[in-house]
Amino acid sequence: MEILQYALRKLLAGLPLILGVTLVSFALMVYFGPDLTYQLLGKNPTPEQILEVRHQLGYDQPFLQRYMQFLGEIVTLDFGDASTGEPVTTLLAKTIPVSLILILPGFILGHVVGLLLALAAAYWRGRWPDKLIMAVAVIGMSVSFLIVIIGFQIVLSSSDGLDLFPVRGWNASSLGSYLSYVTVPTLATMFVALGYDTRFYRSVVVEEMSRDHVRTARAFGLPESRILFRNILKNCLIPFITRVMFSIPQVAIGGALLIESYFGIPGIGKATYEAIVTGDQPVLKAVVSLTAILFVLVVVLNDILYRVVDPRVTLK
Amino acid sequence: MLNSAYPGILRELGRPILTFLALLVGLTLGGCDSPADPEMTRPALKTFHFSMDQAPTTLDPVQGANIYANFVIVNAYDTLYSYQYLARPYLLKPNLAVDFPTISPDGLTYTFRLKKGVRYIDDPCFPGGRGREVVAEDFIYSIKRQFDPKNQPQGAWLWQGRIAGLEEWKAAGSDYSRPVSGLHALDAHTLEVRLTRPYPQLTATLAQGYSALVPHEAVEKYGKGLGVRPVGSGPFKLVSYDTARVLMERNPHYRQEPVDLAAEGYNPATEKFSGVEALQGRSPPFVDRLEFNFINESSASWNSFTKGDEVQLTVLPIEQVDRVLATKRPVTLRPEYAEKYNVYAGLEAGFVSTAFNMDFPELGYNPDPERERRNKALRCAIIKGYDWEARNISWYFGLGEYFPGIIVPASPEFDPQLSRASVTRDVPGARKLLKDNGWTPDNLPTITYGTTAGTTERLFFEQFRAWMRDIGFPRGKVVQKAFANFGDISRAWKRSELPLVAKGWGLDYPDAENTLQLFYGPNASPGSNDANWKNPEYDRLYEQSSVMQPSPARTELYHRMNQLLIDDCVAITGIARTRIYLWHKNVIAVPDREILGGFWLKYVDVLPEPAAGGGV
Repeated sequence: MEILQYALRKLLAGLPLILGVTLVSFALMVYFGPDLTYQLLGKNPTPEQILEVRHQLGYDQPFLQRYMQFLGEIVTLDFGDASTGEPVTTLLAKTIPVSLILILPGFILGHVVGLLLALAAAYWRGRWPDKLIMAVAVIGMSVSFLIVIIGFQIVLSSSDGLDLFPVRGWNASSLGSYLSYVTVPTLATMFVALGYDTRFYRSVVVEEMSRDHVRTARAFGLPESRILFRNILKNCLIPFITRVMFSIPQVAIGGALLIESYFGIPGIGKATYEAIVTGDQPVLKAVVSLTAILFVLVVVLNDILYRVVDPRVTLK
Repeated sequence: MLNSAYPGILRELGRPILTFLALLVGLTLGGCDSPADPEMTRPALKTFHFSMDQAPTTLDPVQGANIYANFVIVNAYDTLYSYQYLARPYLLKPNLAVDFPTISPDGLTYTFRLKKGVRYIDDPCFPGGRGREVVAEDFIYSIKRQFDPKNQPQGAWLWQGRIAGLEEWKAAGSDYSRPVSGLHALDAHTLEVRLTRPYPQLTATLAQGYSALVPHEAVEKYGKGLGVRPVGSGPFKLVSYDTARVLMERNPHYRQEPVDLAAEGYNPATEKFSGVEALQGRSPPFVDRLEFNFINESSASWNSFTKGDEVQLTVLPIEQVDRVLATKRPVTLRPEYAEKYNVYAGLEAGFVSTAFNMDFPELGYNPDPERERRNKALRCAIIKGYDWEARNISWYFGLGEYFPGIIVPASPEFDPQLSRASVTRDVPGARKLLKDNGWTPDNLPTITYGTTAGTTERLFFEQFRAWMRDIGFPRGKVVQKAFANFGDISRAWKRSELPLVAKGWGLDYPDAENTLQLFYGPNASPGSNDANWKNPEYDRLYEQSSVMQPSPARTELYHRMNQLLIDDCVAITGIARTRIYLWHKNVIAVPDREILGGFWLKYVDVLPEPAAGGGV
């Protein structure tokens, strides 16, 4: 009951955040987004036709009225039609699952492998394995994601490289084809994510390892596995959870623009990019508002998970 | 630091991690079911995969403004006319029409006969789900859609003020139950179009995607959803459409019309290599499926093309030119590529130019006649300073064709004998012109060069600025104004807010009228006359020629208009770019993306084994 009350309170408290994010984003769309008028007009338009299109696009309405209309769309979750004529909700329903199953393996493996490498680096702290892992991590962080994608594509997929996987495309109708299409994007995502994740987890683990209670536990002769799980990793869970949870909106809504674009995958990232380029406001409004809502949900869930892993945390 | 027992702990960690990974595989398996594409699993279908650099934004003919949309639209729908597959210059041919129209002596009434027995694809929008016959009323309905503001139509300019009664129909509320005085279905397969004045280009406009025949049942059932669900009578029907790909499959009811290569303009001397002779006497379409891959990134497109089992046709990226081509004139491939690929270099049916906006008193019209005279000298000097050869080499493999004026090489009225002085760089001449007319580095106006934001656009600007510095412009007097996107710069052009308008234009039909109208006075901003040039003699000649059927006399008028424009130094013009297409040897095709649009796709065939033959 306490958790439920807390969740409701936090959700209510998240409303200003949603309003703020949507207001700023909408202002950016209205004042700095592409003006579609002349793209929707034919050649040699008359001034009347220009006014007609501006009216249809709602450009002639006051900002506040347009923003209130946007809020209404968020409440009803009806964002209208994309520029293709397809309902935005249908577009999201089609693209978000694709992005999820595209990004999820890299997301999970990135965190898991990052944690393993961090533990190894922490164990050999200051010695060559630590230095090697950290050097690779820095490379992963430093190299442009674009270069990583092109590099992996050439090495693993192209006829100039190993030619093991498709260069581009998407087919998740069977596990075999799914794995063939998802492997290279996953490896590219992992390569970059590992840099950030490993460094982060290592710093958290190292800090926890040097605490008095760990030294005390070891002095009492507790087995190392027990120390690791109960004294180190358990105490690391709070920062771990924070890092993982706050990556979720990016995974669910943001997709992976570059990955989807280079590998020809019809996910939400590519749809969002196309919407930005073409000024498809219904799609942009949906993505912005869903991201804000998801972010609030993640904050609530994050706090609840804190409580689950650490009973000392109070939900106030 | 942990003690030496730590590696053992890492082994212990392995158990939960393995469990975690098993969970991941389970999750993956679960996720695999949702986006399943059963079409992908159908065996032994002959598929043609090719790449385009952008995705269409809609597949509704009423908004089919760009080449990407038109590639799909003309394959999903029928138009009354199309173009001969192989003839260059481009030549019209009947498509859904039985033959060319009968034209009344006054040139105001056109009568079209439609083929009988042509059916729309089967679709739930029709009673019983069975596609009905295409009739003349469908054409009238489709043209009406272009004049219904609710559709945000983009093709009305083709018939606005030309077909009688359409403006009145729109003004009366775009009520589809009301007739249009200039459009009559004489019977189910005969159509009469009445014009307000002669319009020699009318037949050509009916080869454009805008004029595609759409059934009213589909519009009524799907509304705006027609943009993602075409219901037509073309050679293919849509299977799926997303931002990465369009998949179409053969329309099983498509009419049987055996290919007659002679009637398609086949030239064995230049097209034999493609293997199209194998199509003679067979009825298209020849492949089961078309897969359009939208790939913005040239490296991804190239990797997919060279892989062998993915994209089968691509445009050669500029960064691969030196690696792939053995010679440029003529275009030939290095042996290792010639073994695997065919090549074709196609000249753009359009051009790139930079117009001076005459609304700007700094370089255009000016209340002071003396300043206006000096402004003309300034424009002429800028034209002399422009280096078309360098631009061609830098950006278009050196294979573009730069030409004087605005009648492009793909137009039948192109004049190869026209003086090339306006496209030949003459820096001393430019400097002298400026000096003789009192222009000094101090009094030269600042020129704002508008572009969209981007590296390539910045390089275009820097190149232009360097050329202007050569003729005496101080560096600070040639400045760039970058716009975030094409929509914003379009707005600036249409509002006449930029002194220079650098843009490309693709021909809508093979007639120089299509480019000459770009400088017709009444088409000034927000129309397509971005130069806002108003020359009474030019306008008079345009009006005179615009009602004339093709003839030497009309061509002569076109040439006079072109010369007027060159003499007045209204634009830095122009260059027609060359696209180099590569495709796998087992594909029979002669690709094109110019006026022909996507019409050629129904003639593509894919052989199981590589075909014999060499490159061009």
